[in-house]
Amino acid sequence: MIRIAVFLAAGAAGALLPNLFGSPLLLTLLTQAAINAILATGVGFLVRQNGLVSFGHAGFFGLGAYIVALSATNGWMPIGVALLLAVVAPTVLALLLGAAMLRLGGVAFSMLTLAVAQAFYELALRWRSLANGDDGIAAQLPDRILGLDLSVFQQPGSMFVVCWIVLMLVLFGLSVLIASPFGTLTLAIRENEERARFIGYRTLLPRAAIYALSAAIAALAGVLFALYNGFVTPNVLYWGLSGEALVMAVVGGTRAVWGPALGALLFFLLKNVAGDLTEHWPAIIGGTLIIVTVLLPRGASGSIALLMQRMGVRTA
Amino acid sequence: MTILALEGIGLTRRFGGFIALDSVSIALRPGEIRGLIGPNGAGKSTLMDVLSGRAGKSASGRVSLFGQDITGFPAWQRRRAGLARSFQKTNVFPDLTVAAQIGLAARAAETNNAAEVIDALELSALAGQRAADISYGDQRRVDVALALVGRPRVLLLDEPAAGLSMAESLNLALLLRDLAARWQVTVLIVEHDMEVIFSICSHLTVLHLGRILANGPPEEVRAMPEVITAYLGSSAA
Repeated sequence: MIRIAVFLAAGAAGALLPNLFGSPLLLTLLTQAAINAILATGVGFLVRQNGLVSFGHAGFFGLGAYIVALSATNGWMPIGVALLLAVVAPTVLALLLGAAMLRLGGVAFSMLTLAVAQAFYELALRWRSLANGDDGIAAQLPDRILGLDLSVFQQPGSMFVVCWIVLMLVLFGLSVLIASPFGTLTLAIRENEERARFIGYRTLLPRAAIYALSAAIAALAGVLFALYNGFVTPNVLYWGLSGEALVMAVVGGTRAVWGPALGALLFFLLKNVAGDLTEHWPAIIGGTLIIVTVLLPRGASGSIALLMQRMGVRTA
Repeated sequence: MTILALEGIGLTRRFGGFIALDSVSIALRPGEIRGLIGPNGAGKSTLMDVLSGRAGKSASGRVSLFGQDITGFPAWQRRRAGLARSFQKTNVFPDLTVAAQIGLAARAAETNNAAEVIDALELSALAGQRAADISYGDQRRVDVALALVGRPRVLLLDEPAAGLSMAESLNLALLLRDLAARWQVTVLIVEHDMEVIFSICSHLTVLHLGRILANGPPEEVRAMPEVITAYLGSSAA
């Protein structure tokens, strides 16, 4: 009950933000941050539950975005079905890939995630007849999506609320999963996979399920991106986006399920401020990453949780 | 004819050109507590690995559990069939609480007796603590609890008293003997502490250089000159 109350309060507080900030620029920034927060949550969840680093979650993000854009533009299927497929297809793909790649683990796994995502990037770039190369696709989205007017998804004020609600639902779902027996099992496998086998568990399938779930979250972010922007290019599949999501997760910290989302917000705020100061803003982001890694190894959320713990407040 | 609790036939494991286990056969009757002893490098832990499925396909030979051939079973399947083990080096889940990890092990077993095991191994006071935060001796007991929960039919214990004081070792050994009797668990135990071995084992198997050197009741084995020579050195024989 406390968990539900916390997420309801956070959801309501976030939904009020557009009324507090009238600036379209700020609302655009917050909407982008919310979409990226969902992507970073997927990346961070993989680190938290599987202890694995993905350099290729942009592959699932971009796949979700491209499925929406291509389906809507070519009229392959109703938009509701396309939205569902855009999440389900990357999830199933991740489950199959995970069953093969997770046998390796560690750096080899990370490199394979990078290779797979870059393969999709190259495919989108070179298959011009389907994906229009680096010119991208202007998605011909229908006027109404899931009973809502298209403008709801394309105006930053309303889209921020949509993204915020989706983010809260994702975080709530993950917090429930972490507290479940399956959450304990996957954490145990991350801690000591051999011992998990010797107490009677198969370990590959739970690990692949976590990878697939993290891919589903990334694909969901990609769907929101396609709806919001109405335009996708191969950049949504590029490793740079995977890298940014990983930076957000590291800055925010992965021990708390909400850490990567906090990292995304900090990343966008820092990017905006640094972008106003210099065109070399990535150097400031890089410097921040180094400082956080050295001084706050648990990330921003870990430091907040530690502070709250010292104050006697229990955190999820 | 009584079905054997655990039987290994012709068990062999090589590491390159080195034969760590050379066609070893071992048979445990239901309910017995068998001690597996031998000098360092004799192949005791390797035999435990081969029996429990840790050696994978690098081992040869046949293993059966109460008449069921489990040779092709991976570790998780052997555990579900009733063959559990603990490890020479403490092998727990550091970030999970004691209760959470024992509960997790219990859910994989047919009999969920987590509370009973926690109580029997005197871990109740530590149930809410992370394994990483408790003492080494307590971690050893958690390791044994992970193997014992679910009432396995056969339990392989690889130096459960390693790193414990003499009093702690003996207490743990006597506790294991009582639990094994109460829950009808057959035990194969590797232990260097002879006081522990002689206090709980009804039968001993001596390994030396990857082969079985002797088998028999503790008193007989202790008196065998070849065992004394191999185990204690030629000057003791």
